[in-house]
Amino acid sequence: MTIHPLRPSDSAALRPGQERPDTTTAYDSTWTEQPAHSAPEGLDRIMGQDGKIYVVLAVVLLIWIGVVALLFRTDRQIDELERRVDRSISENE
Amino acid sequence: MPSQVQTQGLVSRRLYRVVRGTVVVVLTGILIAGLLGKIPQLDILEQSARNLYFHVPMWFALMAATIVSAYHSAQHLRHGDRIRDLRAREAARLGLIFGGLGIVTGMVWARFTWYEGTGVWWNFDPKQSMAAVLLLIYGGYFVLRDAIDAPRTRGRIAAVYNLFAVVTMPFLLYILPRQMPSLHPGGEGSPAFSQTDLAPAMRWVFYPSVLAFLGLCWLLYTQRVRLAWLREVLRQKALGNAHGDGDAAH
Repeated sequence: MTIHPLRPSDSAALRPGQERPDTTTAYDSTWTEQPAHSAPEGLDRIMGQDGKIYVVLAVVLLIWIGVVALLFRTDRQIDELERRVDRSISENE
Repeated sequence: MPSQVQTQGLVSRRLYRVVRGTVVVVLTGILIAGLLGKIPQLDILEQSARNLYFHVPMWFALMAATIVSAYHSAQHLRHGDRIRDLRAREAARLGLIFGGLGIVTGMVWARFTWYEGTGVWWNFDPKQSMAAVLLLIYGGYFVLRDAIDAPRTRGRIAAVYNLFAVVTMPFLLYILPRQMPSLHPGGEGSPAFSQTDLAPAMRWVFYPSVLAFLGLCWLLYTQRVRLAWLREVLRQKALGNAHGDGDAAH
Protein backbone atom coordinates (compact mmCIF):
# COMPACT_ATOMS: atom_id res chain seq x y z
CA MET A 1 0.00 0.00 0.00
CA THR A 2 1.18 3.48 -0.73
CA ILE A 3 -0.30 6.68 0.61
CA HIS A 4 -0.41 9.55 -1.83
CA PRO A 5 0.08 12.65 0.28
CA LEU A 6 -1.81 15.59 -1.14
CA ARG A 7 0.51 17.88 -2.99
CA PRO A 8 -0.72 21.11 -4.50
CA SER A 9 0.40 19.90 -7.91
CA ASP A 10 -1.66 16.71 -7.76
CA SER A 11 -5.12 17.86 -8.61
CA ALA A 12 -7.86 19.99 -7.32
CA ALA A 13 -9.84 16.92 -6.47
CA LEU A 14 -9.74 17.01 -2.71
CA ARG A 15 -9.48 20.64 -1.74
CA PRO A 16 -11.77 21.57 1.14
CA GLY A 17 -15.12 22.86 0.19
CA GLN A 18 -15.29 21.09 -3.10
CA GLU A 19 -17.75 18.49 -4.25
CA ARG A 20 -17.17 14.84 -3.52
CA PRO A 21 -14.94 13.34 -6.21
CA ASP A 22 -16.71 10.76 -8.32
CA THR A 23 -13.72 8.69 -9.34
CA THR A 24 -12.79 5.77 -7.14
CA THR A 25 -9.09 6.47 -7.39
CA ALA A 26 -9.62 9.80 -5.67
CA TYR A 27 -10.27 7.77 -2.52
CA ASP A 28 -6.93 5.94 -2.76
CA SER A 29 -5.12 5.91 0.51
CA THR A 30 -1.79 4.20 0.13
CA TRP A 31 1.72 4.91 1.27
CA THR A 32 4.08 6.41 -1.28
CA GLU A 33 7.02 6.53 1.05
CA GLN A 34 7.92 3.09 2.28
CA PRO A 35 8.75 3.18 5.96
CA ALA A 36 12.34 2.19 6.60
CA HIS A 37 11.29 -1.24 7.73
CA SER A 38 13.50 -4.17 8.42
CA ALA A 39 13.03 -7.46 6.60
CA PRO A 40 10.13 -9.42 8.08
CA GLU A 41 11.15 -12.04 10.54
CA GLY A 42 9.93 -15.34 11.86
CA LEU A 43 6.35 -16.22 11.04
CA ASP A 44 5.84 -13.05 8.99
CA ARG A 45 8.66 -14.02 6.68
CA ILE A 46 7.23 -17.47 6.02
CA MET A 47 3.59 -16.47 5.71
CA GLY A 48 4.31 -13.47 3.50
CA GLN A 49 5.98 -15.48 0.75
CA ASP A 50 4.47 -16.12 -2.68
CA GLY A 51 1.63 -13.67 -2.44
CA LYS A 52 0.63 -14.88 1.04
CA ILE A 53 -0.66 -18.22 -0.28
CA TYR A 54 0.49 -19.79 3.00
CA VAL A 55 -2.16 -17.80 4.82
CA VAL A 56 -4.78 -19.42 2.60
CA LEU A 57 -3.22 -22.81 3.26
CA ALA A 58 -3.38 -22.22 7.02
CA VAL A 59 -7.08 -21.31 6.81
CA VAL A 60 -7.93 -24.33 4.63
CA LEU A 61 -6.02 -26.69 6.94
CA LEU A 62 -7.79 -25.31 10.01
CA ILE A 63 -11.18 -25.97 8.37
CA TRP A 64 -10.03 -29.46 7.39
CA ILE A 65 -8.93 -30.19 10.96
CA GLY A 66 -12.40 -29.19 12.14
CA VAL A 67 -14.08 -31.49 9.61
CA VAL A 68 -11.82 -34.41 10.56
CA ALA A 69 -12.53 -33.85 14.25
CA LEU A 70 -16.25 -34.00 13.44
CA LEU A 71 -15.75 -37.24 11.51
CA PHE A 72 -13.96 -38.88 14.46
CA ARG A 73 -16.46 -37.62 17.02
CA THR A 74 -19.39 -38.93 14.98
CA ASP A 75 -17.68 -42.32 14.71
CA ARG A 76 -17.25 -42.44 18.49
CA GLN A 77 -20.89 -41.53 19.07
CA ILE A 78 -22.12 -44.20 16.64
CA ASP A 79 -19.90 -46.77 18.40
CA GLU A 80 -21.40 -45.80 21.73
CA LEU A 81 -24.99 -45.91 20.40
CA GLU A 82 -24.45 -49.35 18.86
CA ARG A 83 -23.10 -50.70 22.14
CA ARG A 84 -26.07 -49.31 24.06
CA VAL A 85 -28.66 -50.65 21.63
CA ASP A 86 -27.03 -54.10 21.52
CA ARG A 87 -26.91 -54.21 25.31
CA SER A 88 -30.58 -53.32 25.62
CA ILE A 89 -31.52 -55.94 23.01
CA SER A 90 -29.66 -58.71 24.81
CA GLU A 91 -31.14 -57.64 28.17
CA ASN A 92 -34.65 -57.99 26.72
CA GLU A 93 -34.10 -61.60 25.86
CA MET B 1 -29.87 -63.88 20.35
CA PRO B 2 -29.35 -64.14 16.61
CA SER B 3 -26.32 -62.10 15.79
CA GLN B 4 -28.04 -60.55 12.78
CA VAL B 5 -30.14 -58.22 14.91
CA GLN B 6 -27.01 -56.80 16.48
CA THR B 7 -26.10 -53.36 15.25
CA GLN B 8 -22.37 -53.96 15.05
CA GLY B 9 -20.71 -55.88 12.26
CA LEU B 10 -22.00 -53.83 9.32
CA VAL B 11 -18.42 -52.90 8.53
CA SER B 12 -15.02 -54.22 9.53
CA ARG B 13 -13.73 -51.84 12.18
CA ARG B 14 -10.16 -52.44 11.14
CA LEU B 15 -10.81 -51.67 7.48
CA TYR B 16 -12.73 -48.55 8.49
CA ARG B 17 -9.89 -47.28 10.69
CA VAL B 18 -7.28 -47.93 8.00
CA VAL B 19 -9.32 -46.07 5.36
CA ARG B 20 -10.05 -43.23 7.77
CA GLY B 21 -6.39 -42.77 8.64
CA THR B 22 -5.34 -42.93 5.00
CA VAL B 23 -7.98 -40.45 3.90
CA VAL B 24 -7.02 -37.95 6.59
CA VAL B 25 -3.31 -38.15 5.75
CA VAL B 26 -3.71 -38.14 1.96
CA LEU B 27 -6.32 -35.35 1.85
CA THR B 28 -4.17 -33.20 4.12
CA GLY B 29 -1.33 -33.75 1.65
CA ILE B 30 -3.67 -32.95 -1.26
CA LEU B 31 -4.64 -29.62 0.31
CA ILE B 32 -0.98 -28.66 0.75
CA ALA B 33 0.24 -29.92 -2.62
CA GLY B 34 -2.89 -28.68 -4.36
CA LEU B 35 -2.30 -25.11 -3.22
CA LEU B 36 1.50 -25.01 -3.37
CA GLY B 37 2.40 -27.49 -6.10
CA LYS B 38 3.69 -26.56 -9.52
CA ILE B 39 1.14 -26.27 -12.32
CA PRO B 40 1.50 -25.25 -15.99
CA GLN B 41 0.89 -21.59 -16.80
CA LEU B 42 -2.22 -21.45 -18.96
CA ASP B 43 -4.30 -18.56 -20.25
CA ILE B 44 -7.93 -18.36 -19.06
CA LEU B 45 -7.39 -21.12 -16.48
CA GLU B 46 -4.37 -19.58 -14.70
CA GLN B 47 -4.32 -20.66 -11.02
CA SER B 48 -7.88 -21.99 -11.27
CA ALA B 49 -6.41 -25.13 -12.87
CA ARG B 50 -5.88 -26.26 -9.27
CA ASN B 51 -9.64 -26.78 -9.11
CA LEU B 52 -9.00 -30.01 -10.99
CA TYR B 53 -7.86 -31.57 -7.71
CA PHE B 54 -11.13 -30.78 -5.98
CA HIS B 55 -13.90 -30.43 -8.59
CA VAL B 56 -13.27 -33.60 -10.63
CA PRO B 57 -13.07 -36.03 -7.66
CA MET B 58 -16.61 -34.95 -6.75
CA TRP B 59 -17.83 -36.61 -9.96
CA PHE B 60 -15.77 -39.72 -9.38
CA ALA B 61 -17.41 -39.95 -5.96
CA LEU B 62 -20.85 -39.50 -7.52
CA MET B 63 -20.19 -42.25 -10.06
CA ALA B 64 -18.93 -44.66 -7.42
CA ALA B 65 -21.86 -43.86 -5.12
CA THR B 66 -24.47 -44.42 -7.84
CA ILE B 67 -22.91 -47.73 -8.83
CA VAL B 68 -22.76 -48.90 -5.20
CA SER B 69 -26.34 -47.75 -4.74
CA ALA B 70 -27.52 -49.67 -7.81
CA TYR B 71 -25.63 -52.78 -6.68
CA HIS B 72 -27.43 -52.79 -3.34
CA SER B 73 -30.76 -52.11 -5.02
CA ALA B 74 -30.23 -55.15 -7.23
CA GLN B 75 -29.32 -57.24 -4.17
CA HIS B 76 -32.40 -55.91 -2.39
CA LEU B 77 -34.59 -57.06 -5.27
CA ARG B 78 -32.98 -60.49 -5.23
CA HIS B 79 -33.08 -61.16 -1.50
CA GLY B 80 -35.38 -58.54 -0.01
CA ASP B 81 -32.94 -57.63 2.77
CA ARG B 82 -33.84 -54.43 4.54
CA ILE B 83 -30.20 -53.44 5.02
CA ARG B 84 -29.65 -53.50 1.24
CA ASP B 85 -32.42 -50.97 0.82
CA LEU B 86 -30.84 -48.74 3.46
CA ARG B 87 -27.41 -49.09 1.84
CA ALA B 88 -28.86 -48.18 -1.55
CA ARG B 89 -30.57 -45.15 -0.05
CA GLU B 90 -27.50 -43.86 1.77
CA ALA B 91 -25.23 -44.41 -1.25
CA ALA B 92 -27.69 -42.47 -3.41
CA ARG B 93 -27.75 -39.72 -0.80
CA LEU B 94 -23.95 -39.44 -0.82
CA GLY B 95 -24.04 -39.43 -4.63
CA LEU B 96 -26.49 -36.56 -4.57
CA ILE B 97 -24.35 -34.61 -2.09
CA PHE B 98 -21.12 -35.06 -4.03
CA GLY B 99 -22.91 -34.40 -7.32
CA GLY B 100 -24.36 -31.20 -5.87
CA LEU B 101 -20.89 -30.12 -4.75
CA GLY B 102 -19.56 -30.99 -8.20
CA ILE B 103 -22.15 -28.94 -10.03
CA VAL B 104 -21.78 -25.91 -7.74
CA THR B 105 -17.98 -25.95 -7.89
CA GLY B 106 -18.23 -26.39 -11.66
CA MET B 107 -20.50 -23.34 -11.89
CA VAL B 108 -18.06 -21.20 -9.95
CA TRP B 109 -15.12 -22.44 -12.01
CA ALA B 110 -16.88 -21.89 -15.34
CA ARG B 111 -18.12 -18.44 -14.30
CA PHE B 112 -14.56 -17.11 -14.00
CA THR B 113 -13.00 -18.98 -16.93
CA TRP B 114 -15.32 -19.75 -19.85
CA TYR B 115 -17.80 -17.02 -18.97
CA GLU B 116 -15.32 -14.55 -17.47
CA GLY B 117 -16.57 -11.00 -17.81
CA THR B 118 -20.02 -12.06 -18.99
CA GLY B 119 -21.64 -12.43 -15.60
CA VAL B 120 -23.11 -15.75 -16.79
CA TRP B 121 -23.32 -18.38 -14.04
CA TRP B 122 -25.24 -20.96 -16.04
CA ASN B 123 -25.09 -21.19 -19.82
CA PHE B 124 -26.71 -24.57 -20.48
CA ASP B 125 -23.46 -26.12 -21.54
CA PRO B 126 -24.37 -29.75 -22.35
CA LYS B 127 -22.08 -31.09 -19.62
CA GLN B 128 -23.67 -28.85 -17.01
CA SER B 129 -27.24 -29.45 -18.15
CA MET B 130 -26.89 -33.22 -18.35
CA ALA B 131 -25.28 -33.31 -14.91
CA ALA B 132 -28.22 -31.28 -13.59
CA VAL B 133 -30.65 -33.75 -15.20
CA LEU B 134 -28.82 -36.63 -13.51
CA LEU B 135 -29.10 -34.94 -10.13
CA LEU B 136 -32.84 -34.39 -10.72
CA ILE B 137 -33.25 -38.09 -11.54
CA TYR B 138 -31.59 -38.98 -8.24
CA GLY B 139 -33.69 -36.36 -6.49
CA GLY B 140 -36.70 -38.20 -7.92
CA TYR B 141 -35.50 -41.36 -6.17
CA PHE B 142 -35.95 -39.70 -2.80
CA VAL B 143 -39.29 -38.14 -3.74
CA LEU B 144 -40.46 -41.62 -4.77
CA ARG B 145 -39.27 -43.11 -1.48
CA ASP B 146 -41.07 -40.47 0.54
CA ALA B 147 -44.30 -41.12 -1.36
CA ILE B 148 -44.57 -44.77 -0.20
CA ASP B 149 -45.25 -45.61 3.43
CA ALA B 150 -44.99 -49.41 3.53
CA PRO B 151 -41.27 -50.25 3.93
CA ARG B 152 -41.29 -53.40 1.79
CA THR B 153 -43.17 -51.83 -1.11
CA ARG B 154 -41.02 -48.74 -0.83
CA GLY B 155 -37.83 -50.77 -0.92
CA ARG B 156 -38.85 -52.75 -4.00
CA ILE B 157 -40.23 -49.87 -6.06
CA ALA B 158 -37.32 -47.58 -5.15
CA ALA B 159 -34.85 -50.33 -6.09
CA VAL B 160 -36.41 -50.72 -9.54
CA TYR B 161 -36.33 -46.96 -10.07
CA ASN B 162 -32.71 -46.88 -8.91
CA LEU B 163 -31.69 -49.46 -11.51
CA PHE B 164 -33.17 -47.27 -14.23
CA ALA B 165 -31.48 -44.20 -12.72
CA VAL B 166 -27.99 -45.69 -12.80
CA VAL B 167 -28.34 -46.61 -16.46
CA THR B 168 -28.79 -42.92 -17.33
CA MET B 169 -25.58 -41.97 -15.48
CA PRO B 170 -22.96 -42.81 -18.16
CA PHE B 171 -25.20 -41.40 -20.89
CA LEU B 172 -25.84 -38.11 -19.12
CA LEU B 173 -22.28 -37.62 -17.88
CA TYR B 174 -20.28 -38.91 -20.85
CA ILE B 175 -22.02 -40.08 -23.98
CA LEU B 176 -24.51 -37.29 -24.63
CA PRO B 177 -22.23 -34.32 -23.73
CA ARG B 178 -19.61 -35.68 -26.12
CA GLN B 179 -22.05 -35.61 -29.02
CA MET B 180 -22.57 -31.88 -28.60
CA PRO B 181 -20.38 -28.81 -28.73
CA SER B 182 -19.27 -28.18 -25.16
CA LEU B 183 -16.59 -26.10 -23.52
CA HIS B 184 -16.00 -28.77 -20.91
CA PRO B 185 -12.93 -30.98 -21.41
CA GLY B 186 -14.08 -34.25 -22.91
CA GLY B 187 -16.50 -32.47 -25.24
CA GLU B 188 -16.79 -33.23 -28.94
CA GLY B 189 -15.51 -36.75 -28.66
CA SER B 190 -12.14 -36.00 -27.05
CA PRO B 191 -11.37 -37.91 -23.89
CA ALA B 192 -10.94 -35.64 -20.90
CA PHE B 193 -7.85 -37.30 -19.51
CA SER B 194 -5.72 -38.46 -22.40
CA GLN B 195 -1.95 -38.65 -22.14
CA THR B 196 -1.50 -35.08 -23.25
CA ASP B 197 -4.19 -33.43 -21.13
CA LEU B 198 -2.60 -33.54 -17.71
CA ALA B 199 0.87 -32.30 -16.82
CA PRO B 200 3.03 -34.90 -15.03
CA ALA B 201 3.35 -32.77 -11.88
CA MET B 202 -0.43 -32.60 -11.59
CA ARG B 203 -0.97 -36.35 -11.92
CA TRP B 204 0.76 -36.92 -8.61
CA VAL B 205 -1.82 -34.77 -6.90
CA PHE B 206 -4.86 -35.54 -9.02
CA TYR B 207 -4.94 -39.35 -8.87
CA PRO B 208 -4.41 -39.58 -5.08
CA SER B 209 -7.03 -36.87 -4.71
CA VAL B 210 -9.60 -38.96 -6.60
CA LEU B 211 -8.84 -41.97 -4.39
CA ALA B 212 -8.93 -39.90 -1.21
CA PHE B 213 -12.30 -38.35 -2.02
CA LEU B 214 -13.67 -41.79 -2.92
CA GLY B 215 -12.44 -42.90 0.52
CA LEU B 216 -14.06 -39.90 2.21
CA CYS B 217 -17.32 -40.69 0.42
CA TRP B 218 -17.13 -44.27 1.68
CA LEU B 219 -16.46 -43.12 5.27
CA LEU B 220 -19.50 -40.84 5.26
CA TYR B 221 -21.58 -43.56 3.58
CA THR B 222 -20.56 -46.06 6.27
CA GLN B 223 -21.50 -43.63 9.04
CA ARG B 224 -24.90 -43.07 7.45
CA VAL B 225 -25.54 -46.79 6.97
CA ARG B 226 -24.69 -47.52 10.61
CA LEU B 227 -27.03 -44.76 11.78
CA ALA B 228 -29.80 -45.90 9.41
CA TRP B 229 -29.45 -49.48 10.68
CA LEU B 230 -29.57 -48.29 14.31
CA ARG B 231 -32.82 -46.51 13.55
CA GLU B 232 -34.17 -49.62 11.86
CA VAL B 233 -33.26 -51.84 14.81
CA LEU B 234 -34.88 -49.42 17.25
CA ARG B 235 -37.96 -49.21 15.05
CA GLN B 236 -38.31 -52.99 14.95
CA LYS B 237 -37.71 -53.13 18.69
CA ALA B 238 -40.48 -50.60 19.22
CA LEU B 239 -42.76 -52.74 17.08
CA GLY B 240 -41.90 -55.62 19.38
CA ASN B 241 -40.55 -57.83 16.64
CA ALA B 242 -36.86 -57.28 17.00
CA HIS B 243 -36.49 -61.05 16.96
CA GLY B 244 -38.44 -61.60 13.78
CA ASP B 245 -37.11 -60.00 10.63
CA GLY B 246 -33.67 -60.55 12.07
CA ASP B 247 -32.53 -61.94 8.75
CA ALA B 248 -32.39 -58.40 7.46
CA ALA B 249 -28.69 -57.86 8.09
CA HIS B 250 -26.55 -58.48 5.00
